[in-house]
Amino acid sequence: MKRLELGVGVTLVALVAAMAVVSFVWTPYDPIRIVPADRLLRPGPAHLLGTDAFGRDLFSRLLVGARSCLSVGVISVGIAALIGVPVGLFVAQGPRWLARVVLRATDIAQALPALLLAILLAGVFGGSTTTAMVAIGAAAVPQFIRVTRAGARQVLSSDYVAAARSAGIPRWRTAWTHVLPNIGALIGVQASVTFAMAILAEAALSYLGLATQPPTPTWGRMLKEAQDFLYLQPGQVLWPALAVAGGVLGFNLLGDGLRDRLDPRLREAA
Amino acid sequence: MGRSKRTRRLPLIAAVAVVAAMVLSACTPGGAGPTTSSAPARTLTIGATAEPPTMDPMAVPAAAGSQVMLYNVYETLVKTDAEGDLQPLLAQRWEVSSDRRTYTFVLNRAARFADGTPVTAQAVVDNIMRIKDPKVAAKSGTVVAAKLVQQMAIVSSAQAVDEGTLRVTLSRPSNGWLYDMSSTAGMVANPAGFRDLASASAGSGPFALDRWARGTSVALKRNQAYWGTPARFDEVTFRYYTDPTAMTAAMMSGQLDIISNLQAPDAIGQFEDPARFKVIEGTTNGEVVLGLNNATPALKNIKVRQAIASAIDKKALLDTVWNGKGRVIGSMAVPTDPYFEDLSGVNAYNPTRAKQLLKEAGYAGGLTLRLKPAALPYATRAAQFVASQLREVGVTVTIEELQFPNRWSDVVYGKADYDMSIVAHVEARDLGTYTNPNYYWRYNNATFTKLYLEADQAAPDQYVPDMKRVARYLADDAAGVWLFVLPNLVVTKPNITGISQNAPTLSFDVTTIAAG
Repeated sequence: MKRLELGVGVTLVALVAAMAVVSFVWTPYDPIRIVPADRLLRPGPAHLLGTDAFGRDLFSRLLVGARSCLSVGVISVGIAALIGVPVGLFVAQGPRWLARVVLRATDIAQALPALLLAILLAGVFGGSTTTAMVAIGAAAVPQFIRVTRAGARQVLSSDYVAAARSAGIPRWRTAWTHVLPNIGALIGVQASVTFAMAILAEAALSYLGLATQPPTPTWGRMLKEAQDFLYLQPGQVLWPALAVAGGVLGFNLLGDGLRDRLDPRLREAA
Repeated sequence: MGRSKRTRRLPLIAAVAVVAAMVLSACTPGGAGPTTSSAPARTLTIGATAEPPTMDPMAVPAAAGSQVMLYNVYETLVKTDAEGDLQPLLAQRWEVSSDRRTYTFVLNRAARFADGTPVTAQAVVDNIMRIKDPKVAAKSGTVVAAKLVQQMAIVSSAQAVDEGTLRVTLSRPSNGWLYDMSSTAGMVANPAGFRDLASASAGSGPFALDRWARGTSVALKRNQAYWGTPARFDEVTFRYYTDPTAMTAAMMSGQLDIISNLQAPDAIGQFEDPARFKVIEGTTNGEVVLGLNNATPALKNIKVRQAIASAIDKKALLDTVWNGKGRVIGSMAVPTDPYFEDLSGVNAYNPTRAKQLLKEAGYAGGLTLRLKPAALPYATRAAQFVASQLREVGVTVTIEELQFPNRWSDVVYGKADYDMSIVAHVEARDLGTYTNPNYYWRYNNATFTKLYLEADQAAPDQYVPDMKRVARYLADDAAGVWLFVLPNLVVTKPNITGISQNAPTLSFDVTTIAAG
């Protein structure tokens, strides 16, 4: 059962990644060129998934849409990890009062949803891919701090860290050589789950017109544009919706599966 | 432990899906039960797109307030009828002096404000002075939109000759002024109610403001003491939908009696069944303009402007963006204007010419322009089309959609921080906006202004040919690109009658509507 989950997760993620890669070398049509004569075609041999209201090939747009979904995911997770992990490590080794202050701060930050933060940023700087990446990344930082700190504290209390310390190895080196490798799996799982959140948030933001601007295809945007034609061509809504759902599910299952495999205690329990 | 954690996560995924579904379905505002015409209270529910930002339609440039209030709540001296001609309303008749500078209005002595006080000449004078002079408006604690102040600027004096006679003198003859007076600038409010205009109506029309549910609806109730033909409805509600699909769904499910203007023209096929719906197709005053910022280095150059105009296939744009409903116009005039002529042949679609013009202007190597459309259905779709077509002639377009009205008003209208923008200009006979160099398209052309003022002051029989010349000059100069005029697409239940085919004013005039 667990194997299956991991398998499905890996497959879905690989599929999304493959779509993005393929889109760089080949798409059946130009995804942003408007062809008035080909408006709202139904799926067929010429257009695998049909065309949208601008006569653009939906399959090509779906392929290219995977790019922005992945790039927003990678960069926002990167932002969150690059800030959250070092801060979490530092807090884990720091004095108790510092941990208290930082943890309360993350509590407060977590009360502000990623979407709200993104809308706020879009209001000030205008909607763009960068705004979305920064907002989603920033919103995920507190989770990384908490996960890293919790994991690091467990490792720090182990005997070999105490041994390293008493051998006079400086703190930052202990953190780098002993703590980080041991919580790597934990961070990987967190990254995968955050990735799923980022895909959903990016889709929501571009649905609202606050992330990647047209004509660059994104799944959320495709969903929004298809919505006006919900009664005329329901299929148009289906594909981007499936893509978003698949991406989110894939990264969530991947995270779950990874944790089950990598966390030795869970393996024993199973 | 592992199991419990995981079983918690899977429902989470399901929850996400459920929430997503809820968000999508939440686009349909609930709360309104189906209205039936057989109910004892005669109600009318109208679906509309833009909610007024305030209940004082004279305070802001947005047209949404006038859609609800003009003729329904606030009356004017004269009224524009469905054919675009002026008819008596508060003024029974009016005379224009031979030098065409003095207007004498004889008021209808029956006219009363909703509180019963008669509409006197002095009350009209108070209104004119409030619109004309921001200081007078400030004294009554109100503001007046700059556009209206400008329209009233040529009034040099307004005086009450007696209770029922009003004399207005203009600083120069104008063919446009009386026409402006039939719209928002000419609304007559009860001077006793000036202070509370933003929240309580003080008109003399057949309806009064009942309640405003912010973000949802504006309800009007019948003015029991109306001086003219009594209203045919006890309650009229304008219900606002930012999502056209939600409005369509509300109409399909019987929550609405009327869609005031369908924002999803592709959906018109859903209303084919004549037993359930009636569809009215006409024309409006809404020119969808690709506004060009004439102050930017590239767009100062007429060749670049002409290149942009000829790079865009307006007919194909209309077919793609608005399902072919509406009409290609070619200048800032619409088919219901007396001086309209089809100028779509000026700077017509010709990509080869566009490339040539860009080359001559020194942009053979390419040009990048920022396009900031209002985030409205027709504008965002037109923006993608424009970007795609300009790309074909070597112009790179970066799109940034701006929330409408607030953010668009701030960035484009206020700061002119844009190269190109798309929005519909819905005021009637609004060619004159190009005479204002501070208007957001920063068009500063002395020749044009001179031509326009000549036409506005011309003898009545010279007005139409002169205005034709003005519209043509604007098209030749490619001061903007006029993509198309929005159609008037009204969907009603079959029992609704009296809606005019065209929408020549800002008002959604309920006074002529009946439910059979």
